[in-house]
Amino acid sequence: MSHASRKQYLQVFLALALLTALEVGVVYLPAIGKGPMVLALVGLAVTKAALVGLFFMHLRYETRIMRLTVAIPLATPAIYAVVLIAEATLRVVP
Amino acid sequence: MWIFLLADALSFAGLLLAYGILRSGAAVWRHPGEPPLGINFTAGLTFLLICSSVTMVLAYAAATEGKRTQTAAWLALTALGGTLFLAGQFHEYFGIWGPGLSKEGLVFGQSAYASTFYSITSFHGAHVFSGTLYILVILARWLQGKTDAAHVEILGLFWHFVDLVWILVFTFVYLIP
Repeated sequence: MSHASRKQYLQVFLALALLTALEVGVVYLPAIGKGPMVLALVGLAVTKAALVGLFFMHLRYETRIMRLTVAIPLATPAIYAVVLIAEATLRVVP
Repeated sequence: MWIFLLADALSFAGLLLAYGILRSGAAVWRHPGEPPLGINFTAGLTFLLICSSVTMVLAYAAATEGKRTQTAAWLALTALGGTLFLAGQFHEYFGIWGPGLSKEGLVFGQSAYASTFYSITSFHGAHVFSGTLYILVILARWLQGKTDAAHVEILGLFWHFVDLVWILVFTFVYLIP
């Protein structure tokens, strides 16, 4: 099975370093509201995690069934989190 | 290894889920007197862990090409990255060159903010510790000629998983306001 080349590994490293700097930059942006900031931070984190999984953990070069075996169990708690956190936020305390 | 990592990921998911529910349902998250978390310092630790993931993939690339000395050197650098991360986390908790969070008023058991912070980051720290030991064991066996590139790849999966989880922990625990 073919894997990423050294050049690709270094490109992913640069992307990860850049995205980390961007994350810190987003936190210090004074004008951005809380909602867009949270969305931007979660988007950046998911992008970084996907880069690590796809290239460093070689999921990009695995079979489709292997990728689904990993993606489905990981997506489930994420959906569960959205529902439960929304419920905790919107809960009306009598 | 993938099956183990999926089970382990669900452990982290449970912790992060509990954190999210507690935080979103709390009227006050950080109580007066409790210190904020250091974003800049932890961003440095995140960068360190990313660097150690790169040295790990380079170790794997060298191992597949049969470059034994190069593989050993990259593995040693990865273990050094893990050790430095642990030193950084120790400093963050207890202080080496300045006061740590525990001395600044962030005490485990005192609030949900403190307890979730220590539970999640120390659970991850335990993974970095065991991962560093795992690297050192594979490095020793590599130097003795008792292991091959397949073992380095499996070790790499664990190490990258530790990096991947930290990326999420850094965002949810440190960055989200």
